[in-house]
Formats: sequence, structure tokens, C-alpha cells
Amino acid sequence: MYEARESGLHLLHPLTKAALALCLVVAGLVLPSRWTGYFLVLCVVFPLALWGKVFTPFLRSLWKVSLPLALSLFLIQSLFWGEGEILLSMGPIAFKKEGALFALVSMGRILLVMADFILFAMTTRPDTLMISMKQAGAPSGLAYIIVTTLQIVPRFQNKASTILDSQRSRGLETEGNIFVRARAFAPIVLPLVLGSLIEVEERAIAIQARGFNSNKEETSLIEIPDTKTQRLTRQALILATILSIVARIAWQLLN
Amino acid sequence: MFDNIKKEFSTRTLVLIPIAIAINIAIGELVVRLKLPVYLDSIGTVLVGAIAGPWAGALTGALANLIWGLINPFAVPFFYVAAVIGLLAGLAGKQGAFEKESPQWLSVVVGAVFVFSLTMFILAFTNATTDDTGFTSYPAMSELFSNYAVIFIVAILAGGAIGYFLLQKGGYAGIWGLVTGIVAAIISAPTAAYVFGGVTGAGTDLLVAAFRASGGNILASVMAQGAVSDPFDKMLSFMVVWLILRSLPARYKAR
Repeated sequence: MYEARESGLHLLHPLTKAALALCLVVAGLVLPSRWTGYFLVLCVVFPLALWGKVFTPFLRSLWKVSLPLALSLFLIQSLFWGEGEILLSMGPIAFKKEGALFALVSMGRILLVMADFILFAMTTRPDTLMISMKQAGAPSGLAYIIVTTLQIVPRFQNKASTILDSQRSRGLETEGNIFVRARAFAPIVLPLVLGSLIEVEERAIAIQARGFNSNKEETSLIEIPDTKTQRLTRQALILATILSIVARIAWQLLN
Repeated sequence: MFDNIKKEFSTRTLVLIPIAIAINIAIGELVVRLKLPVYLDSIGTVLVGAIAGPWAGALTGALANLIWGLINPFAVPFFYVAAVIGLLAGLAGKQGAFEKESPQWLSVVVGAVFVFSLTMFILAFTNATTDDTGFTSYPAMSELFSNYAVIFIVAILAGGAIGYFLLQKGGYAGIWGLVTGIVAAIISAPTAAYVFGGVTGAGTDLLVAAFRASGGNILASVMAQGAVSDPFDKMLSFMVVWLILRSLPARYKAR
């Protein structure tokens, strides 16, 4: 998902961007107003996307992911909302105002989460993120897991495809009624999984041979620039996140 | 206690986890390719739980959701559900559910009980009556039996058949899977209802719509949808992992 660009946003320290993403999501979901989602997306995320020069791919991704959901959310909530004020009726089906409103509000929240995530993924190199996490003290096992997963998921998707094709070329039926299709499941999954489990052994030995288990401090090939301003900003963002949760709890208790 | 947790995270486990997460995603997509009406996107999580233990399983589940979030942001709020699935899979593993063969009659019983309770659940829901004060009452069990006797008998037979053919000797794994699925459905319902208004863009949204149309509020409808699809899905997932572990060459089982 990462898109390389020459931009101020890309040059920021990965943890700064992570703190920002976290703060936005929490604030958007937790602050009392119903429209914080849309507000934050338009006034914070969009300008950031512009600054990061990824606005076009960002918008495209966001659109692709949210449109089907928005559609089905709107349809289901307006049509099936118990008792309510009817906006439009076509024969037996009626769109209710409360449902449509609910869909609109929910969509704001969902858009915020997705936009936030997409922007973060597009402007942060995964390996720099992992290195900065390690430097900040996160367990190296965790960093390994995340980085490796990102690398091998596409590989596995291809592997599954290949096994599917090769089994089909050996006569496996994959179309037809549900029983036929269900029976095609095991001959594809078993080779995939068994093959991978055997790979686990080899990989474990390989990384141990490369010093994975040593506790000595590592030197990194990549240097990640950081500034005092960013450090302070990160702390401020974490504080803001905690404060917004407190604000919500207080508001909840007072109402 | 922390020593026990640490022991679960050997190098082999750390290597296994990314592979398991990739398996989750690959199989989840395969199932869509084969157009089967299930998710089966936690097989990797269950596998890690079964092989490495509850904590490793829980971590795998949580990370799998968060990483999948990069491709499909919907998964993210449900990370705790995936963690619980991994945890339960680990507990099931400690109980040997994935190693023992169950008698086939047990699988038949499991299948029958499952489909039976499912039917009862659905019928209770669709026959619920809401009076003027907004109080929803559900029909008594005896009422349902007398009205729908034929449906129940068919359900029991169908359930038994499913148990016999799908679960075969993996009855213990199947039971654990069933329980896990039920727990998963319950704990994911609040998030689905609050964050998404019950709609996640999956085909199961139609189920939610159907339940809403018959009068349930959002939370109840989402729970009902979960109750229909999750237990079956998890039961199958546990069974698939049982099958996989049986097929491993003896050399790899010795760990």
C-alpha cells in the first residue's frame, strides 16, 4: 500500500505518524458529536493527504473500499428500520428517515477509520516503522512477525492460486453444485498448509543462524530522522488521545 | 505465569505466526474463489493455537486482524474476537481435541444438536411478537415444536448427516469449534452493532436485514446473524485444523 513520494509527511518519523493516526481514530470514535467523523476526515485527513502528495491514490482507495459498504449500509438501515418517519415509499418498501440518518452517522465513523488507516499505510514505509518500533523498545519478535507477514502474504496468495490451478489440471472439479466445490477444498488447502508447516522448520533454523536470538543491540542500515519537535508532538498526541477518552467518559457520566 | 507465556513463543512459534496469518488470508480468499458460503478465515489462528498454545493463538488472531486491516479495514475493530478464537483453540489443543479421534456417533450428535438449536433460534426470532409497549416476547419452545414439528425433524436429520460426513472422527474438535463460534458471535455482536450498525459489507448482511425485518433491534439481529454463521464456520475451521494435524508426517508431530 505504500506509495513513495517526496513530501514532508513522508519524511516524518514513523512513530509520529502512528501517534497521529491513533489520536485521530480515537478522537473520531469517542468524542460526543455525531459528525466528528466527517469533520476530521475533511479537515484533517484530506489536508494531510494533500501534504503527502498522495491525494489521488488515497481518494481512489477510500472510494473503492467505502462505496459498496456505504450503499449496503444505507439500503439496509433505511429499509429495515423498525418504526419511523417515511421518506420515500415504492410500493411495499419504504425508506425511513431514522435509518438513513443512522447510516449517515455510521458512515462518518467508518470513513474516518478507513481514511486514517489508508493514509498511514500510504505514507509510511513498513520497514522504517518496524525499525522505529524496535528502537522505541518494542519486542523484536513482534517486529519480525509484522514485517514477515507483510512480505509473505502476497506469496501465499500466489501459492494458493498455483495449487488451485495445478489440482485443476490434474482433474479436480471446482465448478458445479456445492458438494463438488466443497470437495475441492481439502486437496487445495492440505498441500498449502502442510508445505508451509514444513517450511517453518527451515526458516527457524535459517534465522537462528543469522543471529535472530541474540540480545545484542542492532545497528540499522537505514537511518530515520527525528527531531525534538516531533518527539514533543508525539507526546502531545498521546495526551490528546487520553484526554478525549476522559472527555467522553465525563460527558457520558454527566448526561 | 509469565514464564509459561514466554515458553510459548519459541523461535519456531515466531516463524509460524506470519505463515499462519498468511494462511488465514489465503484460505479466506480461496473460499471466495470456490464460492462456498463460509468464511474460514481463522484456520491459521486455530492452527497456531493448536500447535503453540493459547497465548500464541491469541496473538496470532489479534495480529492477523490488524494486518488484514491494511487490506480491508473492517476487520480491525474485531481483533479481540480473533484473539479469543486463538485462545480457545489453544485451550482445545491442550485438551488434545486435535489429536484424539472421536467416535462417529458423537459427530452425528454434535451436528444434529447444532442444526436443531439453530432452527429453534431462527424460528423463535421470526415468530417473535412485539406488543404496543415495545416489549418483545418470544414464543415458548413447546409452541414452536407443535407448529413446526416437521422442520425440526428435518433439521435433526440434516444436522446428523452434516456431523457424519463433515466432522467424521473430528467430533471433539468440532465441539470446541462450535463453542468457540458461539462465543465469537456473542462478543462480536456489540462491535458490529455499534461501530457498523450491523452492516459489514459481507453477504451475511442480508441475514441481518432479514432479522431486522422480523422486528429485532440492531444488536439482537447482529447476534442472530452471528449465531447462524459463526458456530458453523468455527466448527468447520477447527475440523479442518484437526484434519491438517492428522495429515502431518510423524516427524513433525514430535515437538
